[in-house]
Amino acid sequence: MVLSTDSRWEVVDRIARRTVAYGTYKRTLGDVLGELTVKPLTGIPVAVAALFAFWSIFCSFAGALVTDGFMVKLFDSHWLPWLQSVWPDPASWHYFVFVGDPLADNCFEAFGVLTSGLFVSIGVVLPAILIFYLMMTVLEDSGYLPRLAVLVDSVLHRIGLHGYAIVPMILGLGCNVPAVTATRILETRKQRFIMMTLLAIFIPCGAQLGVMLEVIPDMIGLVFLCLIGGFCLFGYILNKVIPGENPEILVDVPPYHWPIRENVVKKMWNRTKSFLKEAVPFVLFGVLLVNLLYLGGVIQALAAFFEPLFVTWFGVPKETVGPLIAGFLRKDLAIAQLSVIPMTAYQMFASVVLISIYFPCVATFVIMLREGWKELCAALAVLFVVVFVYGGLIHAIGILLGVA
Amino acid sequence: MADSTKKKITVLMVGNPNVGKSALFNRMTGANAMVSNYPGTTVDFTSGTLIEGRQEYEIIDVPGTYSLEPRDAAEEVAVRMIRDHPDAVVMIVFDATKIDRGLYIALEVMEQGMLCIVAVNMMDTAHDKKISVDTADLQKVLGVPVVATTATSGEGIRELAEQIRKAQVADLDKIIKRLNGEIPDKKSVGGCGGCGGC
Amino acid sequence: MQKKLLELEFGERGVVREIRTSVHDLNCMGIRVDRELKMVTKQPIKGPVVVLLGEMQIAIGLDLAAQIIVDVIGKDA
Repeated sequence: MVLSTDSRWEVVDRIARRTVAYGTYKRTLGDVLGELTVKPLTGIPVAVAALFAFWSIFCSFAGALVTDGFMVKLFDSHWLPWLQSVWPDPASWHYFVFVGDPLADNCFEAFGVLTSGLFVSIGVVLPAILIFYLMMTVLEDSGYLPRLAVLVDSVLHRIGLHGYAIVPMILGLGCNVPAVTATRILETRKQRFIMMTLLAIFIPCGAQLGVMLEVIPDMIGLVFLCLIGGFCLFGYILNKVIPGENPEILVDVPPYHWPIRENVVKKMWNRTKSFLKEAVPFVLFGVLLVNLLYLGGVIQALAAFFEPLFVTWFGVPKETVGPLIAGFLRKDLAIAQLSVIPMTAYQMFASVVLISIYFPCVATFVIMLREGWKELCAALAVLFVVVFVYGGLIHAIGILLGVA
Repeated sequence: MADSTKKKITVLMVGNPNVGKSALFNRMTGANAMVSNYPGTTVDFTSGTLIEGRQEYEIIDVPGTYSLEPRDAAEEVAVRMIRDHPDAVVMIVFDATKIDRGLYIALEVMEQGMLCIVAVNMMDTAHDKKISVDTADLQKVLGVPVVATTATSGEGIRELAEQIRKAQVADLDKIIKRLNGEIPDKKSVGGCGGCGGC
Repeated sequence: MQKKLLELEFGERGVVREIRTSVHDLNCMGIRVDRELKMVTKQPIKGPVVVLLGEMQIAIGLDLAAQIIVDVIGKDA
């Protein structure tokens, strides 16, 4: 027997009336806090404070405490010298591939599979990812996320999304792969496409952030500003250009509750596990591939070919071609590589922005392909336009300001 | 189900988003939970094993959905999973503070003629909010096992696991007749819904 | 007095009389004709409204809230 929607609701009401009783309820502190954090006057300052806290914990824990305080020392003064002393024949190809520069005194510059590859993935990226997912899970499980979604809804509505798009956005700051999956909470194809494209282009992942913190700590704010500007600008354009509907937000705002430790641990572990499985092999393989391409002279040839575009249009040195190729495998890797190219501050800044926007890493690429090849092709088309326009725009602004 | 001691039975956990379905799932299954991708989609789901009595169950945590008329990709997958497992037991998870929403999807599932069992979860929150749910009466009306649970503390989980084997196909006709008082509440001893599974 | 849901003032309570758009999604969230709602907050620059329905809060986009007609029945402090 199948009921019509109306009669189904009628049955629901009759059952509920019969089985559920409501007592008099007294508002608790949690309810008051819940309301305060969703009302704009009090909620927006709290949201800003929460995001700022999120960011500073991320920086101080991942950047300062674990990476600088422990990992750098471990890798630079123990692992690297030891490897350099035991690996035979510094002039050989395998030394170049696995250990890298025999004269390097830190793991960023050595650029071998076992030096930079391991250091970037374990020493820099892992702590960043770990702390990021811990905080994300707490935000999620405490019930704060929906409130944040309500507060940012009006802004995101302008670019064709709605407040709940904050979930893939924040997830994307961890890793784009789960973020692309999370776009499914948006209702229409148009919204999912806009979100995916913007994710792939403008949201730097946790791995990248970790490396940026290490390599260009004082420029990170400026890079972010550029990315946010681009996010809004191109989001607005995409919303105007792409046909389709933008349904509005319609969500529960659940009461606050304390996250349960087992659930937080379990979620965090699952997320970190899938990161380790996907990212670490890619980083190692990426270093290997780039080194082999160097040995084969491919990178030098590409650099020569793209030199006019890079130097005249984007205003960055031709050596950045190598990192850009590595960037397809892992963007964190690419930024680590950039750090050893001699550049002016402006060039450094421009190339970091370029790497952030220019291409999704291969894991993101694959997951986007799963969403549909048409969407992927369209996203790539958008991407090329954006890189070209935005890269040129930043260069132009740089020239106007006299820094390029 | 003559060989039910050997054959693995699939249990689909269906319910609205944010009713504590995952927490319930974590409580019921051990550490062997697996995240996999539903074929042809990007939607991931979690599955795990529960052994209760001599029966092995494969429990699948279906993405949360408000109805079987899907709004987004995750809900579409929920609908497909139900369609693809016609022999499965459907465990419908309610939020005790939002019974009406749960009932709506429960009725939709029941209309498909699937074996059903209901878990009224988040009983602690309902208690805090001074909402009381008469689960025995709910069981009587629906004619399928109804178990009160609190996934966060683990309350009711054992009973829920034990009741899976008593899952019933609900009869919408009878539900309406019971509501109209046309069928007297029979065999209501011990909170039994008269399902005959025991 | 009837008005649109989005015109309710803070703390004002109303009973849903009519939904002038596709009812399915709203119904699934528990917003149905004859239900009582209370306005909790409105977000600035055309943001969503947050209403209290029974013991739960629901955020509704502005255009959607404009399609819901309510009878005002009172106001809480």
